[in-house]
Amino acid sequence: MNSSFVIPLEGRIDSNNASEVEKNIDQLRKGKESLPLILDASGLEYISSAGLRVLLHLKKTAPDMTITEVSSEVYDILDMTGFTEMMKVEKAFRQISIDGCEEIGRGANGSVYRIDQDNIVKVYRDSDALEEIRHEREVARLALILGIPTAISYDVVRVGDSYGSVFELLNATSFSKILAREPDRMDWVVKEYIELLRTIHGTIVPEGKLPDMKETVRSWVLFLKDYLPEDSWQKLLSLVEAVPEDHHMIHGDYHTKNVMVQNEEVLLIDMDTLAAGHPIFELASMYNAFIGFSELDPGVIVEFQGFDFATSRLFWDRVLAEYLGTAWEKRIRDVEDKARIIGYTRMIRRLIRRNGLHTEQGQKEIAYYKKELVKLLETTDTLLFAGAEFKTEAKKEHLPLVLAFIDQYLEGTDASSKTRNQMHLIAEEIFVNITEYAYREKPGDVILKMELSEDGMKARLTFMDQGIAYNPLEKEDPDLTLGAEERPIGGLGIYLTRKQADELSYEYKNGSNVLSVIKHL
Amino acid sequence: MAPELKNIDLHMHSNVSDGTDSPKELLALVKEKKISLFSLTDHDALNGAMEIQNHLDQFPEPLLFLRGVELSCQDARGKYHILGYQYDRKGGPLHQMVQKAHDIRLEKVTARLDFLKREFGFSFREEDVRALFQNHNPGKPHIAKMMVTYGYAESVSDAMKRFLNKKKFPNVALPPEKAIGSIIDSGGTAILAHPAYGDGDQLILGEDMDQRIRYLMDFGLQGMECYYSSFTPRIIEEMLDLAGKYQLFVTAGSDYHGSNKLVCLGDTNLPAPQDRAPGFHAFLKAVQVI
Repeated sequence: MNSSFVIPLEGRIDSNNASEVEKNIDQLRKGKESLPLILDASGLEYISSAGLRVLLHLKKTAPDMTITEVSSEVYDILDMTGFTEMMKVEKAFRQISIDGCEEIGRGANGSVYRIDQDNIVKVYRDSDALEEIRHEREVARLALILGIPTAISYDVVRVGDSYGSVFELLNATSFSKILAREPDRMDWVVKEYIELLRTIHGTIVPEGKLPDMKETVRSWVLFLKDYLPEDSWQKLLSLVEAVPEDHHMIHGDYHTKNVMVQNEEVLLIDMDTLAAGHPIFELASMYNAFIGFSELDPGVIVEFQGFDFATSRLFWDRVLAEYLGTAWEKRIRDVEDKARIIGYTRMIRRLIRRNGLHTEQGQKEIAYYKKELVKLLETTDTLLFAGAEFKTEAKKEHLPLVLAFIDQYLEGTDASSKTRNQMHLIAEEIFVNITEYAYREKPGDVILKMELSEDGMKARLTFMDQGIAYNPLEKEDPDLTLGAEERPIGGLGIYLTRKQADELSYEYKNGSNVLSVIKHL
Repeated sequence: MAPELKNIDLHMHSNVSDGTDSPKELLALVKEKKISLFSLTDHDALNGAMEIQNHLDQFPEPLLFLRGVELSCQDARGKYHILGYQYDRKGGPLHQMVQKAHDIRLEKVTARLDFLKREFGFSFREEDVRALFQNHNPGKPHIAKMMVTYGYAESVSDAMKRFLNKKKFPNVALPPEKAIGSIIDSGGTAILAHPAYGDGDQLILGEDMDQRIRYLMDFGLQGMECYYSSFTPRIIEEMLDLAGKYQLFVTAGSDYHGSNKLVCLGDTNLPAPQDRAPGFHAFLKAVQVI
């Protein structure tokens, strides 16, 4: 039982009536002392220090008491005096109306409206959404601390019977809107969209701070147990279970309505789905947003994003190509298939939960997604893939991670084991060189970027570090004061790298050493 | 060896002012609560403190007592409650001043009763009026209570709101410099009671509080009641910071009023001896407890 005992506070509480108020509350509570006490302050206009005493004394007999619906005037007093640290104090929410406001977004748990030029409100569908709001604020704050550009709500309001979170977004516009109105800016949108996505996926989430996406996806799979053929379901479960634990951040609902531009700054919003996990789970939800939801009815995307299905398809392909570092069709479709497996899993569960089995339309859709899913499960043996970029601290012990990334990226190409070994040797030489030389004074990160040519026959491997500027391709060692043993570039290492690479180039750009190797597969 | 001063309460009221326990009952309660150092600080009255002092003199016990008083003050800048401790037992400006204030108070009660009779036709039996005046410090609450017994009002606050507050009698306000001066001139120590709460019903923090302290220090204020039953940890911290900044004494009090208010005797928010502010030890030294 979650019952509690509510006592309303009215008017003013000051020295004229404080002891009476206290006695009244005591009287009312008789026999109900074991119930959590809630003081409903919606009628409380003013509280003097005599009133504060009443609260303080009450707290001694009701340690878990809560004061709700506190006006901002009273809240300020309680905050200034430290009462908000001692007891649960919930502010009353100002009521706003969204009549006639433009709806600028709609998500799983609410809709976003523009209140005026500079403010938007996210109205939660669930009438008891305070917990959700608290969660979203918390994760948004966490994301901001971890370096993700995002907006944090500055107020919680009542909108009819629901709650809303208010954000300040000065003159902001969404990527969806730009794609719909200015299609010639797609190049720029793709570039910024991927840059932000890489920032998110490159962010390590402190353990336990965000939900584990793999667990969530696993629960979707478990839900489908009775709705898929046994062997398909087994395969699906084993594919998900084989995805390694991953502490990198994923947004969970990364479509173009959730990316805003404000004064040329790109911002991520709608943070309540933030999680930790493998990027395949992100690609799955992106696939659904751009393609999956609209696969049977291309009109869906127009209503949802404001641009047509052809634009959505083009954008998705470009995004995937950029994220994977290749325009190689086979690679793009291969990774897309992995994303579709999780995407369809989610879609089928969603349709079933929305009574889809009992409507003609629903049955048709479920049958389609199921058929596609079963087909995909026959041809897919892993959900793993490598995006184009991999970031790691420049530490020798991370070399195996670097080599694993290269292997993962070369998966599905024609690279022979001999070619792979040569790539390993090159990568080892360059990576160790960075750890020992470029970052000899202070540690730093290395970004590894891989690309595949459009025919999938050529791979480019690029190392970027922000250590001491140095071109290893030059013969002369610029620092002659070093002893032979300390000299990080042995003639032999770089000689081998040169011999095994098909092309090799170096440049120093924007404070980074950029060393690029091309290898024919 | 210094006595172990675990439980201390330097701010309480007896029925000599607006408390409900007699000084004797208070003494019994102090012993029951194992309070080893206490002070009776009636509003504008010394009789209760003197009575306890006499009891203690007759039965010497290891109980430490400070003669106390709480003076209500007011000037153009605001209202203050000033605590006075360990003033001289006999004579002195403080005694004279309290007597004078008492006389004024009695005159005011007479004027109020006249007003009630004239304006509303309320009259009281002679023996009740006599009992009222026998009270050491009769005032509005006492009259209000009497009105409730007579059925003139539903409750004390009703009596205040509908009748007693209808006429304001000029406050013969005691200016703070006079209160502080008379305490000090009588050999006592002057402390600002519940500083953040002003006269008990205000909230004064930050720069306002700082200014108030500097203002009263000019008149000789020596300390602040930083540990107080109804302060939050945040307020206590702020008060202690201020006391530290101006090197003032620090005291601790519950403001116990008996059954009138629900404060417990001995509940002062004073921490364990090792965690007390230096100003608190300085105060105990100044009043020669340690």
